[in-house]
Amino acid sequence: MQLLKKIKQGSPGWFLLTAGIILLLLIPNLNIIINLFGKAGENWEHVRDYLLINYFQNSLILVLASGLLAAFLGAGLAWIIAAYDFPGRNFLSWGLILPLAIPPYIGAYVYQGMFSYTGPLQTFLRNDFQLQLSQQYFDFMNIRGAIFIYTIFLFPYVFLMTKAFLSRQSASLLESSRLLGKNDSTIFFKIILPLSRGAVVAGSSLVMMEVLNDYGVVKYFGISTFTTAIFKTWFGMGDLATAVRLAVMAMLVIFVLLFLEKLLRGGRKYSYSTSNIRPLSRRKLKGSKKVLAQFFCYGVFFFGFLLPTIQLLYWSFLSRGGELLGTLNFALTSFLTGGGAAVLILTGAVIVATTARMSSSFISNLLARITILGYSIPGAVIAVGVLLFMLQLDQIFLFLQTGFGIEINLVLSSTLVMLIFAYAVRFMGIAFNSVNSGYQKIGESYFEASRTLGKGVTETFFKIDLPMLKPALMSGFLLIFIEIMKELPLTMILRPFNFDTLATKAFEYASDEMIYRAADLSLVLIFFSTAAIYLITHHRRRKNNAVEN
Amino acid sequence: MRKLIVLTVLIGLVFSLGTSVLAAEEVNLYTNRHYDTDEEILDRFTEETGIEVNVLKGDSDQLIERIAREGENTPADLLITADAGRLHRAKTRGILQSVKTETLTQNVPVNLKDQDNYWYGLTMRGRVIVYAKDRVDPSDLAGYADLTSDQWQDEILVRSSANIYNQSLLASLVSIYGEKWAEEWAAGIVDNMARKPQGNDRAQATAVAAGEGDLAIINTYYLGKMINSDNPAEVEVAKSLGIHFPEGKYGTHVNVSGAGVTKYAPNKKNAVKLLEYLSSASAQKYFASANYEYPVNPDVEASELLQSWGDFKAQGINLTELGVHNEAAVKIFNRVGWQ
Repeated sequence: MQLLKKIKQGSPGWFLLTAGIILLLLIPNLNIIINLFGKAGENWEHVRDYLLINYFQNSLILVLASGLLAAFLGAGLAWIIAAYDFPGRNFLSWGLILPLAIPPYIGAYVYQGMFSYTGPLQTFLRNDFQLQLSQQYFDFMNIRGAIFIYTIFLFPYVFLMTKAFLSRQSASLLESSRLLGKNDSTIFFKIILPLSRGAVVAGSSLVMMEVLNDYGVVKYFGISTFTTAIFKTWFGMGDLATAVRLAVMAMLVIFVLLFLEKLLRGGRKYSYSTSNIRPLSRRKLKGSKKVLAQFFCYGVFFFGFLLPTIQLLYWSFLSRGGELLGTLNFALTSFLTGGGAAVLILTGAVIVATTARMSSSFISNLLARITILGYSIPGAVIAVGVLLFMLQLDQIFLFLQTGFGIEINLVLSSTLVMLIFAYAVRFMGIAFNSVNSGYQKIGESYFEASRTLGKGVTETFFKIDLPMLKPALMSGFLLIFIEIMKELPLTMILRPFNFDTLATKAFEYASDEMIYRAADLSLVLIFFSTAAIYLITHHRRRKNNAVEN
Repeated sequence: MRKLIVLTVLIGLVFSLGTSVLAAEEVNLYTNRHYDTDEEILDRFTEETGIEVNVLKGDSDQLIERIAREGENTPADLLITADAGRLHRAKTRGILQSVKTETLTQNVPVNLKDQDNYWYGLTMRGRVIVYAKDRVDPSDLAGYADLTSDQWQDEILVRSSANIYNQSLLASLVSIYGEKWAEEWAAGIVDNMARKPQGNDRAQATAVAAGEGDLAIINTYYLGKMINSDNPAEVEVAKSLGIHFPEGKYGTHVNVSGAGVTKYAPNKKNAVKLLEYLSSASAQKYFASANYEYPVNPDVEASELLQSWGDFKAQGINLTELGVHNEAAVKIFNRVGWQ
């Protein structure tokens, strides 16, 4: 026991680094949350009396409907891909992740553009068939339209998590049920769905957080939600206190939903793990079932990726693809910022996750909660928290300089440091989860063996853990890279001078209704994200094949 | 790992030093404008004066918030943003300073700038009524007040009240007719709406062409953008619409996008130079036409397209009023249920 304790004991260096990182992540959040305990803003009563119910209803409908639909769509597709074999399955197993490459706000502009009176569909009907239908059939800018956008572009979160779970964990149960003569739909509803509930809920809660914090789609569609309310009270009325109150209420909505889910699940424990991990044997589909599965999967792929991409290509063609050179410039900025920031964030996450692994489960749970905090708060709120923090730091530097004559000449606010730090606050949770799941796969025996042989924590980390973590780091890097490529609110609020990314430029053109100009930029953005997704999936696939063979 | 950490710190240092070393003649511009022609105008300014212009683009409200938070340490020298209501908000947040020069007084008419000279209008747009040419007789139209009459039951298209242009329109009516009248007017518009507010001004114009309603309230430059659109269907829509400039005693609601020198501007002298340059005859033409707007400088003619729409009479009020009554307008919208 004594020995074991000693083995698990971390080194003070790692612990201090972790404490430093956690403190850095917490301060910007605290800067904001502290506003909650002050007096209510002057606009609070007005907001509460006239607007709150409307915000609450709209947000709740959007979050619930998108979360549920994405859960069913993602889980259903994951099941089809994991359990069956049919032509095109190999492609679809990563092609169905591609909708994630298209930011929802760009998706919203594209779909609205397609269905609008001046869009290709109606123009075609009007000019070629003299058909003018009532506009209500094409009305896309409403809650239903927004739910469609969120579902079709965000369901891959659920798909990814559920598929990974099914293909790793469910083989023996599935085979037993098949042997016992259950038909497939019984197996799906009675075995698979309850079994993968944890994975589906985890994916779906990511979707719900994205929906709750999204600003682009609801602003364009003119739907009042908590996020638009936060922007309205804060930037419109200059009332931070009321805005923070709304932000906290929005977070409560998510917590209550997750809590209810836990309650419904009750004491039942569905999680199921076995040391006997082997891949699911897929059943070959034939006849009408094959056609149906293909139709469904390709249909989702079509609406979630192919159709919007084709529309963007057409627009890019209409605008004569004028600004290719400028576009490359923005692409370079996006690429370098995303790549650089992802490396830094991942480094931080590795330090924290390594410490978490050496700590008690209470501490490691706590660390997981703190790192995900930034993901559950609206981007704009984090932005101002980070800005305040950087300004405080600058004050300290200035004080040191004038007070002690120390020549440091350091200004952090309005530099790239500030923006990258904000990315870290927001995406540390994703990075931490990637690293952590990597550690879980490795297990602890190698680590313990190395420690028993008298190697230090740091040496063990570099010689044993890091090489084995590489696949997890790789996919973590690409996930964060994609997120940063798509990121809007932080970049818009915190960017330094003369700094444009693909996302900000595309959004500027699109919100200016120059959707044709935005098309080139969106296409490059989608290309990068697609490449990243391809790399993640094919890297993993090579590894899986190695296991299978 | 240690190498990475050292590298991180180094990168950080380089970036931060980078900004403080660039101490040559420069001016830092925070702007919500993002037209490609702006770059040319700023380049010409640099050529003529030798002053480098650093640009930080962003959403208007967020730029204001950022300058306010940066306080005395703000690098911003000049803030350009759309809507007088917003410029007034910037003034009351205490982030602008009063600037008065002969050139500016000459170039910008007195009703299109702050009454205490905290900001100056640079380009002007009208908020007008567009109608379906094939269904509406323009002689039936009689300004904003008439929009609440039964004649336009379920015919009016207008965007959400979260939008500052609507807030400023209502603020101007509060200023002219008083709060009670304005609230009745807003309630009347809500009654006459063809559908719940959705989309932006362009979407309203398109909805008129599609027959969802006969009238829409939009800013003039949207029509300019549609006429020059890459999409032929959109050009067709724009051609099917007529413009009505409200006349009568009070005229058409106009608004500006404008600029003010920040309170703690580190390069104040250069900021004033840039502001003067943007209001000058040589820059005004391009600066205004980039967004199909009217120049504020009375010596400069509007573009041909805008001239073809004809002259109009602008509301006589000082635009400072739009900011003063903004809060009242927002609260009226919420009370009458204008989403």
